[in-house]
Amino acid sequence: MGKSKQVGNHKSDKKKNIAKTWKTKRRAKDLDQIHDDIRPENAAKLLKQELDYDVTGNAQHYCLHCARYFVDLKTMKEHFRTKLHKKRLKQLREEPYTQAEADRAAGMGSYIPPKAVEVRTQPVEDEMTT
Amino acid sequence: MRIEKCYFCSGPVYSGHGMMFVRNDSKVFRFCRSKCHKNFKKKRNPRKTRWTKAFRKATGKELTVDNSLEFEKRRNIPVKYRRELWNKTVEAMKKVEEIKLKRQTQFIKNRLKKGKELEKADAINEVKKNIHLIKAPHAGKARKMEEKMVEKLQEDVEMGED
Repeated sequence: MGKSKQVGNHKSDKKKNIAKTWKTKRRAKDLDQIHDDIRPENAAKLLKQELDYDVTGNAQHYCLHCARYFVDLKTMKEHFRTKLHKKRLKQLREEPYTQAEADRAAGMGSYIPPKAVEVRTQPVEDEMTT
Repeated sequence: MRIEKCYFCSGPVYSGHGMMFVRNDSKVFRFCRSKCHKNFKKKRNPRKTRWTKAFRKATGKELTVDNSLEFEKRRNIPVKYRRELWNKTVEAMKKVEEIKLKRQTQFIKNRLKKGKELEKADAINEVKKNIHLIKAPHAGKARKMEEKMVEKLQEDVEMGED
């Protein structure tokens, strides 16, 4: 695990326009969508995508949990060891928040604690041999 | 017409207020005000945001499991209007609200009781630890010595008399 990626906020262009990064146009997947993706039938499709030359790494290296494409296997493996990825795994270990829970919190029914979900980084080793 | 609940803070969303976001998988999110919408855009977790109802319930700040919470429900079957039924329902709603309020205040009172006890114990502990600030360790020692001297003198006098 290396250092955190974020280094300085003053002069970096990354954080200059925060509002733009929150635009719906640039909206990344939500946690509940990723929970959907993790289910085996969806995961199989996402992990073995067809060649798409418009996507990073021709859509061959996809991290399910971070919803992100990588250039090659090496960078993806490096990504699995980062804080970013581990943090995401931790966030995913809880059942996603829903409108039903919001309703319950507003007084429509009793509180039901969220269940724990087992989440593990996708296996990569078998891809290495082929 | 239905008064929806905000996705983020669980507050009521009245018609003409707040906004609705439809994600590209056609899931609908309603927000009561721009504050909630902005927080949603920032991908904050309502369970971890301190001012939301979800947080207060998840951390046990409020009454979470109770029968009085089971009355309010989303009913998707329309009921034909009957004046008698209507009147009774309104009465029941008032009563349920009253009971709910009472239980909720009682719950919060009980929750705060523990803090008061701890505060008291802390205060006593502090006084015990820092008693030397009020009473110097040598305070009153001179007077005690004087008393002892007087006692001894008296004893000596008594001895001399014998």
